[in-house]
Amino acid sequence: MADITLNRLVKTYGRAEVIHGIDLAVADGEFVVFVGPSGCGKSTTLRMIAGLEEVSGGEIRIGGRLVNEVDPRQRNIAMVFQNYAIYPHMTVRQNIAFGLYTSKLGKTEKAAKVEEAARMLDLTALLDRRPAALSGGQRQRVAIGRAMVRDPAAFLFDEPLSNLDAQLRAQMRIEIKALHRRLGTTIAYVTHDQVEAMTMADRIVVMKAGHILQAGAPMEIYDRPADVFTARFIGTPSMNVLPVAGEGAGLAAAGAGAPLLAGVRPQALRVGAPEEEAALSLTGPVTAVEPLGPETLVHFTVAGQGLIATAPPHETPGIGAEVTARAARGQVHLFDPATERATGRA
Amino acid sequence: MSRDATPPPAAPRLSMRMRRALWVWGFLALPVLFYGVIRFYPTLDAFRLSFTDWNLMSAPKYIGLENYRRMLAEPEFWQVFRNTFAYLVLGTPISLLLSFTVAYFLDRIRFGHTLMRALYFLPYITTASAMAWVWRWFYQPAPTGVINAVLGDLGLAQMDFLRSTTWALPSIMVTAIWAGLGFQVIIFMAGLRSIPTTYYEAARIDGVGEWAILRRITLPLLKPTTVFLVVFSSIGFLRIFDQVYNMTTNDPGGPLGSTKPLVLKIYQTAFSSYEMGYAAAQTVVLFTILLLVSLGQLWALRKR
Repeated sequence: MADITLNRLVKTYGRAEVIHGIDLAVADGEFVVFVGPSGCGKSTTLRMIAGLEEVSGGEIRIGGRLVNEVDPRQRNIAMVFQNYAIYPHMTVRQNIAFGLYTSKLGKTEKAAKVEEAARMLDLTALLDRRPAALSGGQRQRVAIGRAMVRDPAAFLFDEPLSNLDAQLRAQMRIEIKALHRRLGTTIAYVTHDQVEAMTMADRIVVMKAGHILQAGAPMEIYDRPADVFTARFIGTPSMNVLPVAGEGAGLAAAGAGAPLLAGVRPQALRVGAPEEEAALSLTGPVTAVEPLGPETLVHFTVAGQGLIATAPPHETPGIGAEVTARAARGQVHLFDPATERATGRA
Repeated sequence: MSRDATPPPAAPRLSMRMRRALWVWGFLALPVLFYGVIRFYPTLDAFRLSFTDWNLMSAPKYIGLENYRRMLAEPEFWQVFRNTFAYLVLGTPISLLLSFTVAYFLDRIRFGHTLMRALYFLPYITTASAMAWVWRWFYQPAPTGVINAVLGDLGLAQMDFLRSTTWALPSIMVTAIWAGLGFQVIIFMAGLRSIPTTYYEAARIDGVGEWAILRRITLPLLKPTTVFLVVFSSIGFLRIFDQVYNMTTNDPGGPLGSTKPLVLKIYQTAFSSYEMGYAAAQTVVLFTILLLVSLGQLWALRKR
């Protein structure tokens, strides 16, 4: 068990700097999810923590120990890869035991550890199979098993669920989270899927272009995004962001060059909401409707910009009809148009 | 004109299955003809000829198993048989070990990678006879031969490379190994490249050392490549001819038949002695050996 500290961490490839001096402290036992679009540097950061990439500047400490120049094998971490990296020529048992290859435990102790990991991951019946005879979810569980048997100080997950179908992914999210609760080991987890970040993390770290934009608990990030990027990246469908003018309850849509950007989550922008209490009213023609069951997403345009609002399930407006959607007070996020940083709420 | 006006296409006379079959066999016709007439027919005919006495002039005369009986009784055949297996059992493992070592390390260097790879591959695209003659020159006594000249400068004894019944076969084998090395290196490198890097990264994180990674991960995952090269290289050494013929032109297969492989023996029986039936019988033996060795290797290295 260990905490992980990143101090002014920099990564350069040749002359290109891809990680621009990030700071982060992961507490012992914390489940931290790095999330961001491809190329934001989240995987590179994880690989630096693992020791698979050299650190170009700054420092990485695991359990207080400076590990910049420490071999991966001496960092006492375990990693799970997107493509599982389990060996096709070994059985499940051999694959899991491979995590103990350098361990000084006796044969029987090793076997017991493998059995225990298999039981926790529900792999006992599959121990003598080859990976070719396993499903994607089972393969990923084997990879987790190989990581688990080593009792590492921290687990690193590099997009472990990206190769799985949606249903399995949902199931594995719950399994990994349950595993974390049981083992209590520090986890650093990289994903581009904001749902994984929201559902699993103790703390989400939003990255973009080699910078950390915001780090915080899932609901904190959802409720108080620090900037437009984070606001739009976390939550589905993405938050509506449009230029507005006015103050207080008198906000109104405005063209480019307006003094403020307003962000409203589709779930907070309701078709046919009462006029009093509203901080922002938007009216425009409907371009598409998507009934989801519990609610209906209404796509409409205001001043040429596409927006998404929600309507009650059985009151779907027709395409082309004018609708008015309103956001209640306190539901509108305000951003500075120049810096895109959050400035408050209306 | 509106689309509706076009008449519906007439039903084709042949079913889809028939049309597909016609296309397939149309494309296959040429290779089938080629293999049938140029490859399979002569192969099968060799079996028939091996039971005859034929000197190319008169009609083949059926003599039963006489050719095979003669072969088993002939000391030179057994010498040739031993030579051929010497090429096989020494050449294949040594060349594979060398080429794997080269590929394994070449795969890790970035600087000059392409140049090095080209240099290793160069011998493979060089004419076998030209190469054999250059090596033959290397092996000459001093001052002509480079190797002996160097030995002389170092004050060491001269080696009778190609004129010694002990050293001629290994000397020729060195040439043959060197000639095939480039191809094997390229194939091994392709095999190494096809192993996903995450396997190595996972192993590094798990703390597995280089040697264990090589033994437990690289070699097992490289098995399909190795099987291919073992079979391919074995067939090559069993059929060795060019190097031997060109490096011992004064007495092909000499000295005293100590370097003569089966193919050269067949060549001499057929085209110096004009004993076509006897040559065919030897060909059948070679064919059988190739078949058995290849099948044996495929069995030994099969997926388990």
